[in-house]
Parts: sequence; structure tokens; C-alpha cells
Amino acid sequence: MGNLLEHMGIERDRIHFSWISSAEATKFVDVVKEISNKVRALGPNKKLVKDYN
Amino acid sequence: MDTCIQKIREIAFQLLDKKEVERVIGFSNGTIPMATSPITIASKQDTEKLVFNSTCGLNLANYIRQQKGKIAVIAKGCDSRNIVTHIIENQVKRDQIYIIGVPCKGMINKSKIKALFEDDILKFDEDGDTLTVESSSKKETLSKKEYLRDNCRLCQHKNPVIYDILAGDPVKEQVLDVPYPDVEKIAALDADARWIHFQELTKNCIRCYACRNACPLCYCPTCFVDESGPQWVGKGQDKTDVNTFHFLRAFHCAGRCTDCGACVEACPMDINVRDFTRKLNKDAFDMFGWEAGLDQTKRPPLDAYSPDDPNDFIK
Amino acid sequence: MNDNNIKIVSFLCNWCSYGAADLAGVSRMEYPADIRVIRIPCSGRMSPKFILSAFREGADAVWVSG
Ligand code: SF4
Ligand code: SF4
Ligand code: SF4
Repeated sequence: MGNLLEHMGIERDRIHFSWISSAEATKFVDVVKEISNKVRALGPNKKLVKDYN
Repeated sequence: MDTCIQKIREIAFQLLDKKEVERVIGFSNGTIPMATSPITIASKQDTEKLVFNSTCGLNLANYIRQQKGKIAVIAKGCDSRNIVTHIIENQVKRDQIYIIGVPCKGMINKSKIKALFEDDILKFDEDGDTLTVESSSKKETLSKKEYLRDNCRLCQHKNPVIYDILAGDPVKEQVLDVPYPDVEKIAALDADARWIHFQELTKNCIRCYACRNACPLCYCPTCFVDESGPQWVGKGQDKTDVNTFHFLRAFHCAGRCTDCGACVEACPMDINVRDFTRKLNKDAFDMFGWEAGLDQTKRPPLDAYSPDDPNDFIK
Repeated sequence: MNDNNIKIVSFLCNWCSYGAADLAGVSRMEYPADIRVIRIPCSGRMSPKFILSAFREGADAVWVSG
């Protein structure tokens, strides 16, 4: 999924997958931080957004 | 080619005569030159209608589902791989179909030939590698090699992978060092340039769904584009909707597409929708060593779990 | 752009990551407020359509977690 989106020009860092057990609150927080930093670096997404106007 | 069609007609005649099959699915001449179309034949007198030449670019595997009784089908290399895919996906039973395999010499790119003429083409003939095409204003003699479809140029499985009988001598297969040059070319661009490439590619799409209908993989009773509750994708030509359609169509073909080119062949706007599917074909090959439709006994990679599946995309 | 306006649509499995998110909340851990959580009954409920829908509706990123 990520590969084809990337091929179409959607940046790889806009799509994330992870595996966190319900006991891993620390990992959860770390992953949120990591993703958030990566996405902030990219800025807002303008591609593939439907314009309803 | 001529001997090959004689052979096909003969086989079809015998099969219908001995009542071994109820119907034969093949190609017949269309109403205009180069427009061969699929045909189903039930009587042996009609076998004369069968043709086979390098304009038979559609995929006959698309017409073998939900047939009653035993049927025979004419299959090029890629058609046969889609038949294998059908068998794996339980769409047909192997013993219900009789496969007349045709070692394939490649199909031609009709749009490229039409572009040479300003008026309508009135006559098309082929003899080995020479194509003779005529309109009311001029006559061109072309070399078939120069006018092959892109997918046929890159095809590495021209001989049918399963068949009950072959209607010609096997052809030599090519082995390519770089099987996906087109995908690599797009991958070399940066993200924004890739986005623009796909925007340009699909900008003329009229959402006619000919590409979907021509594809033997697209047999869902209700396609996601027709679903209305929830509606995943709008029906118009809004560019986000067009992108979503193409993305998901390709995604549904992941690990199943044989690059037969029927989708491109059917597109009235000459959109090379293979730019989407080829990427997934390459991934299936790189990640799982998989090419669709080569082996009846193997489960496709997206349908089977193996402990050594690549998983480094998961954190 | 405004950094506070990032939207990461997060599909979290009820039993795993959603539980982890719950635990993080109960333990009063701090994390960026960029995620918008959608609880799914199991990661098996996930579909590529969800991801595309999220982008179509204006997500800046999508996160799927089992
Ligand atoms: S893809 Fe291969 S088998 Fe199919 S028509 Fe082209 S050359 Fe023939
Ligand atoms: S997506 Fe196109 S090339 Fe692939 S199997 Fe379908 S019709 Fe053939
Ligand atoms: S056949 Fe061509 S125009 Fe029609 S939906 Fe497919 S890509 Fe679009």
C-alpha cells in the first residue's frame, strides 16, 4: 500500500504501520512522537485530497 | 500466422464435432480493420469465423467464468496465466475448460498505427513480421517489431503455461535483465514529479471503466466504484476520484496481474493504466519472487502467510 | 503552516494499540495531540479504502496500528 502511494508521489512518511500491545504505553507514546515529528517535517498534505467546492 | 489459424479452426471443429466441448471462445473479425473481438461459437460450421492475428490483444480468460458445461478457450501466454489465476481463485475448474494454447508472437499497438494515418484505416494485413495498412489516402508497410505493445515487448512468458493442445510451435522466450524499466524510470523521479506524472497520465480518463471490464481479474459482483453505502469514491471526473479509482483498481490486482495489456487495449483515451499495476507486479516480484499465474499449486503472496514475509515496514 | 494543525488519522486495534493508548492516558503520559483516533474492532477490519478515504478527507498522514 505504502509502496504504490509512494510511487504515485505521496511521501512515504505519511503512512505508518506499527504493532503495539496493550501493555506498551511507552512504546505507544514513542511511536506517536516519532510519527508526529516526521509528518510535521513534511507539512500538510495537498495530494489526493478531495475538493468539495 | 496463417497456419496457426488453420490449426485453431481444425481443433475447434474437431472438439465441437465430437461434442467434447459445448462452446469455443476465440476471436473473430470485427466490423472495422484491426478490431478483432471475442466470439463464442457453438456450432462447428462457425469455426470459419475464428481468426487469430496480432490484433487479438484482449484477454479471453475474461470470458470463461460462469459458463455452463465444458468450454474450449484460445489462450496466448498471458491469457493462460490468467486462466491459472482463475483456477487458483476458484473461478473455474481446470477440468471444465479445454485450453487451446497459442505460442504468442506479440500483439500490436493499434493506437500507434492509427496515429500514422489522418483518415480511417480500411485494410490491415499481416504476413510474418510485415504489416500492410491501408487507408483511402495512403498505404504503409510496417515492421511488426516496431509496433509491438509495450507489455508485449517486456513479456517473458509468451508460451502458454497450461494448455491441452498447442496450435503452433513454442516460441523462444526472452529473458530480460531489467524486467521493469518503466517502473524504474518513474521511481527515479522525486515525489512531486511522480505525482505530476500520474496526474498527467489520468487527466483524460472519462471513467468509462473499460479497463476494469476488459480485465480478467475484475469479477467482483459489485465493484467498489459502484458501492454506495458507504460511497468510497465519487463517480465523476473529479481528479481525486479518478486517482482513487485507479489506485484501488490497481491495488485489487496486486499479485494477480499478468501484464496482459487488455486494460490498456480497451481504454478509449489511450491511458497507460499499466503504470499503476506494473509497480505492484515489480513489488510482488522483488519481495516475494512472485509472478502471477505461473503455478497452479502455489498460493499468491497476499493470500498466504509465511514467517519470512518482509515486515520491516512495521514499527 | 501552523504546526498545531497536523492531522494524523490513526486506526487503532481495540485490543492492542487502543489499549496502549488507554494505558498511556491512565498513566498520564504526554504525547503530541496530532493524532485522531479511530478504534477498529481488530486490525483485520482495516482496509486500503480507509486509508484512501482518510487522505481524501484531508488527513496529513495515516497510522495503522495493531
Ligand atoms: S503479453 Fe506476452 S503472451 Fe500476452 S500478447 Fe503480449 S507477447 Fe503475447
Ligand atoms: S490489470 Fe491490465 S494487464 Fe493486469 S491482468 Fe488486468 S487487464 Fe491484464
Ligand atoms: S478505460 Fe481509460 S478512460 Fe476508461 S476508465 Fe479506464 S483509464 Fe479511464
